[in-house]
Amino acid sequence: MLAALNGLSHTLDAYLILAGLLFAIGSFGFLARRNAISMLMSIELMLNAVNLAIIAFGAFTPGLNVDASVIALIVIGAAAAEATIGLAIVIAIYRNKKTPLVDEYDAMRQ
Amino acid sequence: MTLPETIPLLGFAWDDLLFIILAAIMVGSALLVVTMRDIIRCGLAMIICFAALAGLYVFAGAPAVAAAQVLVYIGAISVLVLFAIMLTQTKAGPASLVFQTQAIPAAIAATVLALLVAVTVVATDWGETATRIWTDTTKLAGTLFADFTLPFEVVSVLLLAAVIGGVFIAKREPGGSD
Repeated sequence: MLAALNGLSHTLDAYLILAGLLFAIGSFGFLARRNAISMLMSIELMLNAVNLAIIAFGAFTPGLNVDASVIALIVIGAAAAEATIGLAIVIAIYRNKKTPLVDEYDAMRQ
Repeated sequence: MTLPETIPLLGFAWDDLLFIILAAIMVGSALLVVTMRDIIRCGLAMIICFAALAGLYVFAGAPAVAAAQVLVYIGAISVLVLFAIMLTQTKAGPASLVFQTQAIPAAIAATVLALLVAVTVVATDWGETATRIWTDTTKLAGTLFADFTLPFEVVSVLLLAAVIGGVFIAKREPGGSD
């Protein structure tokens, strides 16, 4: 059974399945957690999963090799901007509502 | 003394063993991020997850992206998240429920998503090469600053706008109650 793992790090499938797994974990966290910051951390996990898929495609496709790294770097920059704004919004809401739990943000329901 | 070609007893190559260890650390710490009760520990597990991911980037032949991952994610975003956690934690926080009521449907949906991705990946012929290609960082720099100059500059303007916007949103009102 362990022989099936031979050459695992030289296959594109292994990296893509790993990226899909990380994305699924992130989506579960985003849907299930009550804390707004936990939800933001889950979004970061999903962004990283996409980055891993981009890098994996670049590593196994000669024509995309350099472009994939460039795209991944730009995604990292955009993710940094997203984290800054997201956390600022969470802190601003926390100052008004005194709670980080998203299911208590029901001001628009009344 | 030199290492043998393959691992004794297990029979597969050293780089595969390292890949499996990094993948296990990454998936395990990601699961801890979404399931643990204490949110500070979630943030620390997220740092471990990002570090293992940087190792996987090196494995996939992209050392420049791995360096950026360490600098941006571990150095900046994780610290930002930890600060935000400490600013918004209440005494009742760790004692209250961690998950919403839709946690079980969410878990089922996430499992189905992961299985769907795995089946699709295995069933598709991506036309990939047999071995990994190592990214030449000199060539990467040439492409980034020649062909992708406009996206690079747009990202820098986006970051500047995000920093100014973040300060503006999070700052206290001058006449506010606190």
